[in-house]
Amino acid sequence: MKDKISNYIIHHIAKQKIEAIHADDDLLADGLIDSLGMMKLVAYVEKEAQIKIPPEDLTLENFMTIDHILEYLANHSTT
Amino acid sequence: MQDQGKTKLPLTQSQLSIWASQKLQPDSPSHNIVYTFEIEGPLNTTVFKRAFANLTAETDIFNITFGENQGEPFQLKTDITKFELPILDVTSLSEKEVEKQIYEKTLEPIDIGHQVFDALLLQKQNSTIWLLKFHHLVTDAISYQILYRRLSVLYANLMSKEVEDKNIPGKYLDYVLFENDAVYREGFSEHSDYWKEKSLQAVDEIKFYGEKKAPNTTAAERIIVNLGSKRLEKLKTVSQLSQVRGWTPSLTLYNIFMTVYASFIHRVTGSDHIAIGSPSHNRNEPKFNNTPGLFVEVLPYYFDITEKESFQSLLQKVKIESNNFLKNVSPGMVGNVKDQQIAAVLNFINAEFPDFHGMPTKVKWVHNGHIDDSHDIRCHIFDFEGDGDYYIAFDLNTSVFNEEKRRVVPQHFLLLLDAFLENLQSEIASIPLVKPTFSDESNFPQQNSSKTKTLYEEFKLQAEKNPNSIALQSKAETLTYRNLFHKVDILANHLISNGVQRGSKVALHLQRSTDYVISVLSILKIGAVFVPIATDQPLERLKYNVHKANCSFLLCQKEIPLEIAFTNLNLFNWSKPQPENFDFKISSEHQLSYILFTSGSTGNPKGVAISNGALINYLHWAKITYEVDDKSIFPLFTSIGFDLTITSLFLPLISGGKIIIYPEKSSGPDTSLLDVVTDNLVNTIKLTPSHLALLADRDMSTSKIDIMILGGEDLKVAVAKKLKNQFHPQLRIINEYGPTEATVGCIYTEFDEARHDQTSVPIGKPIDNTQVYILDQHMNMVPNGVQGELYLSGKGLAEGYVGEHELTTEKFLENPYSQQTKIYKTGDLARRNTNQELEFLGRIDDQIKLRGHRIELSEIEAQLLNIEGVESCSVVVVSGNKPANNQETTNCVKCGLPSNYPSTDFDELGVCHLCRAFESYEEKAHRYFKNDNALVQLLTSKREENPNYDCISLLSGGKDSTYVLARLVNMGLKVLAFTMDNGYISQQAKVNIDKIVKNLGVDHVYGKTPHMNEIFVDSLHRHQNVCNGCFKTIYTLSTSIALEKQIPFIVTGLSRGQFFETRLTEELFWDDHLNTEKIDQTILDARKLYHQENDAVKKLLDTSMFDDECVFEKIQYVDFYRYSDVSLDEMLQYLKDEVGWVRPTDTGRSTNCLINQVGIYVHKKELGYSNYSFPYSWDVRLGHKTREETLDEINEVIDETEVKRIMSEIGYSKEDEEGGANSDRLVAYYTGNPGVSVKQLNTTLREQLPSYMVPSQFKQLNELPLTKNGKVDKKALQQLTSLQIELDTPYEAPRNEIEELLEGIWKEVLKLDKVGIHDDFIALGGHSLAAIRVTARLNEEIETNFPLNKVFEYPSIKAYANYIEKTLTELLEN
Repeated sequence: MKDKISNYIIHHIAKQKIEAIHADDDLLADGLIDSLGMMKLVAYVEKEAQIKIPPEDLTLENFMTIDHILEYLANHSTT
Repeated sequence: MQDQGKTKLPLTQSQLSIWASQKLQPDSPSHNIVYTFEIEGPLNTTVFKRAFANLTAETDIFNITFGENQGEPFQLKTDITKFELPILDVTSLSEKEVEKQIYEKTLEPIDIGHQVFDALLLQKQNSTIWLLKFHHLVTDAISYQILYRRLSVLYANLMSKEVEDKNIPGKYLDYVLFENDAVYREGFSEHSDYWKEKSLQAVDEIKFYGEKKAPNTTAAERIIVNLGSKRLEKLKTVSQLSQVRGWTPSLTLYNIFMTVYASFIHRVTGSDHIAIGSPSHNRNEPKFNNTPGLFVEVLPYYFDITEKESFQSLLQKVKIESNNFLKNVSPGMVGNVKDQQIAAVLNFINAEFPDFHGMPTKVKWVHNGHIDDSHDIRCHIFDFEGDGDYYIAFDLNTSVFNEEKRRVVPQHFLLLLDAFLENLQSEIASIPLVKPTFSDESNFPQQNSSKTKTLYEEFKLQAEKNPNSIALQSKAETLTYRNLFHKVDILANHLISNGVQRGSKVALHLQRSTDYVISVLSILKIGAVFVPIATDQPLERLKYNVHKANCSFLLCQKEIPLEIAFTNLNLFNWSKPQPENFDFKISSEHQLSYILFTSGSTGNPKGVAISNGALINYLHWAKITYEVDDKSIFPLFTSIGFDLTITSLFLPLISGGKIIIYPEKSSGPDTSLLDVVTDNLVNTIKLTPSHLALLADRDMSTSKIDIMILGGEDLKVAVAKKLKNQFHPQLRIINEYGPTEATVGCIYTEFDEARHDQTSVPIGKPIDNTQVYILDQHMNMVPNGVQGELYLSGKGLAEGYVGEHELTTEKFLENPYSQQTKIYKTGDLARRNTNQELEFLGRIDDQIKLRGHRIELSEIEAQLLNIEGVESCSVVVVSGNKPANNQETTNCVKCGLPSNYPSTDFDELGVCHLCRAFESYEEKAHRYFKNDNALVQLLTSKREENPNYDCISLLSGGKDSTYVLARLVNMGLKVLAFTMDNGYISQQAKVNIDKIVKNLGVDHVYGKTPHMNEIFVDSLHRHQNVCNGCFKTIYTLSTSIALEKQIPFIVTGLSRGQFFETRLTEELFWDDHLNTEKIDQTILDARKLYHQENDAVKKLLDTSMFDDECVFEKIQYVDFYRYSDVSLDEMLQYLKDEVGWVRPTDTGRSTNCLINQVGIYVHKKELGYSNYSFPYSWDVRLGHKTREETLDEINEVIDETEVKRIMSEIGYSKEDEEGGANSDRLVAYYTGNPGVSVKQLNTTLREQLPSYMVPSQFKQLNELPLTKNGKVDKKALQQLTSLQIELDTPYEAPRNEIEELLEGIWKEVLKLDKVGIHDDFIALGGHSLAAIRVTARLNEEIETNFPLNKVFEYPSIKAYANYIEKTLTELLEN
């Protein structure tokens, strides 16, 4: 999942050309991805993990870095 | 990436909407986008020009042009445009003049077929302005940022050749291809579904400050405000709050502004369900990050704002909505929301413009005074300098926002923003937008006004001044002021001697008479209080009111049943009392004068107590305003229990004028007004708009009335205009508004044709000593123009409701805007229009006005619930469904079908849906038609069995049927001509007929029936025409002759257009493999059903032969024009040459039948269009008539006098014509014991309520339909037609998919808004043609082959649904 997410970021939503992204990089810092990219990422994660993330969980705390996202998924996975 | 070369490319969805908008407004510059960049410093203009040339060469949007191919737009990249950037020296011009130059540039139209951009350099003293203009089709805000930055790089390179140069802008046409292919991309359909669902959201009609946008207007003003440092500080702090913060700082700001914007729209439109459009930047893919072009798509946000919504709770909704918005935006999505009207746009522009090669630059987005014609308001938020100082620009359509409103928009927006920043928890509705100001100072109570006289004193003054003038006149007696004064004296003394004293409540249960006026004045003289209770009130109500008002006396003219003789109530009959001498001295402002009862929501009427001061305040004002003096003559003809009658009762008596008294009619509705106008004695009259219906069609040009005061209900402008015409142009028409609680009238206007051009005449401005407030539910004043509840204050207010302390404090509140005064909560909705006049907009609760009577529907409901067996109920007003005759209709440009034909839909080219649909099956339809040979073959096919005649030819004597007969004879056939003598064939037509049959040498018989007139009346009721009844009579009588004489065929002269009226429907041609035999079979099935319909023909004529289906084997019906194709010209030529037929001049053109125009008249009157509109439109479609011929005929003038004469001759009465169904009426729906009879309900209610409050129809339901919020769905109840209410089946909504499917089809075919599952198909107006359509649609929908007659076998939705289910199950099992 980690690789999928970073690949998706690099190839589809990053505002700048980047080679790699670390799991603890702040995704929203320095405009790497904007809010549109963030919601596209949410949609992607929902599809890949086959979950529906409720609106109240769409917070910086849950989505700031890839690590945060993975942690959230670990806690909310249905399977 | 590939070069698109010269390929023509389609437009993106976003381009398409702009292209369409520009196409609709070809001259509007609203899509010209202009930015100016003012570069401060020593700019090398030669280098700049070269840099700009490089930019235009490498960026495709400069070189895109647009074209059109058969209505389809396309774009393509053209050769590099040779464009030399002009430099304009403006050093000598002032700042203003420079701005003007720029502004003019923005207005210059852009020829998109040639060059989509323009640019200019303006050389100033110390700076240079670069102006760049594009058509919106190829640009958006971010594009300017990209181009500006790129130009800066290109300039730097030319200057020093050192700046890194790899960020070449992308090609827009690559995006165009990408967008065109979007449909194949992952997520497209999922996103589309999201937007499609969004676009189905119901939104309120938006009216900013109560004003609606004028269609096709683009003129707008841009108002820019700066947030200011204080607000910015607060904004920063609030943005940090965790409950506010979004993904990024800009999203946080965006969400805040969206919340405030939605709050603003909610507050200044009053709408709760609102849509706001917002651009999605759409550069989702990294590869398009640096591509200029039109990417943005405006997509909608939807908000339901609830009653107690706080900023915080709305912000949460915004956050969810904006996340979903971002999740679902992708190129092309705007195509899914095209039909949705979006009046408001929020545009948060995230573009920054840094220095230009080290020189500071001021960036401006220049507004050209126009915006897209679909928008009322656009709000742009931007920070081009990137220093965190935000600007807000409002683009305001000037037809919605006048100058005053344009000034307050930013104020109101910022007030709400400040409230948001101050306290997130604030309730949005609680923020005051208007500071109370008292502009109506002159109307303020004059605290120290001179001591008020009593009404009696005013009367006495007149009696002394004009003792010999006539005060009262009735059929029975005439009284001078002296006589009246004397009689009042006598009665007052008599009353006193019987115990009446100051403050006593005296009920007056009297007819309108001199006695009534004498009684009122006597009571006022004593200082007692009169309580008028009209004689038509039921005993129970009289009893209740007498009790409630605490009356100790009752004056009446006839014996009242003893049971009313309560304890302590002195009941005396009016007789001639003897004079006694008393001297009275009473006078006080708050001394009560009268108590009037009005409908109360709790089930009982409430008594409004009016003081002497309030009454005098109204009368003094009215006397001056209506110029009432000793020459004024008023009729007293309205109910004494009505507060508008107070005007006619007192105004003349305090002015030395005269009252003419018209007593109540002994039975039936009170039509005294007719006597008033017939006598023509009065010059001033007060009445309700409903009264005017009685005067319709009367010649009033010689009426003496010169001032007419209308009150009690909404006055339509059309009505007022008509009055001026009907009377005389000098007639003064006053619209007076006022609840009983504010004494007769407290707001008024004089109708002025020039000023009053809306639907209703405004109620106007307050009278003397009256203040008006329009407040929201928090008692805040609403901004000018916005709707709110009307509150009243001032001298005219009632003292309260007698014996209802709680209700009084609920309605008469402490005035928050003026200490120690009360304000009365009217429950009426109102707004101030741009003329500062008040407009009445309806009720907050369900109080209604019916023919001038104020009625609380809940009072009727409360009384109904008291009846045993009634469990729940709801009473609604159902409006008469008279077609709006003044509505303008247009005609289809192809076939002439009028736009008011039911369910028509015209496309933008003015072509009707029938013509459009016909295009798809025209070819198939023509296969239904045959040729002459086939006809001869058919008609001679049974010669052997029937030697006498080959066929009967139906001959009306008109051109079509004469032609048929002549041609049949000409074909060598043996023909018997049959003519129906319906009693109205014109004389000339008869001569024609006799001549024709003689010339052609054919046998001829007439058919006749003594029941023809009854059949006509039945046909007028059923079909609103006479032809249906006549046709059926013809078929019945001719079939009988055919049977008798063994003639196998009956040939009709129906036109091809008439086939589509009576036999063919679009559905018959849906089958891919058209099978005319199948169509013939369906038509025959329909004919069998047709002859079984239970109409007057079936009842009155012998139709037994149709009971045996073998009649349809023995006799065949053949339509001549199915075989023969002839134009009108050819036909007329043939008739002239071969037959000697002449057009009758003694009938309308459409026919040779005199009664036909009665049908047309009734049809037009009831449905709004001619019954020939539809068949003739088909004649045009099939090429048998021209559109002009059709229009001539359907618009033909009808001789109304002749029509009315024939109507009375056949027994179609005026009552039939103006049937009860066509006026507003009360309908009660109830649930409960089925044993409760309507008669019982009616009788019980009549004992409790005045007749105008007793519903005219009662309908039992299994349950009351509910809205989403669990309230009774009154709207749904109002949708049932009177026909449906009359059905004795209770209404029940469809319960499953099959029933819903059937309901949908029935509604469409029968043109109803609602169908219950127990309703009977035939009772709903279903006939054989409707059966064809219903069955065909059903078969198409669920791919079955149900036979036609099942509709009649299972005539309700429930039964048919059962049948479907059973059949389908059987099919599956086998």
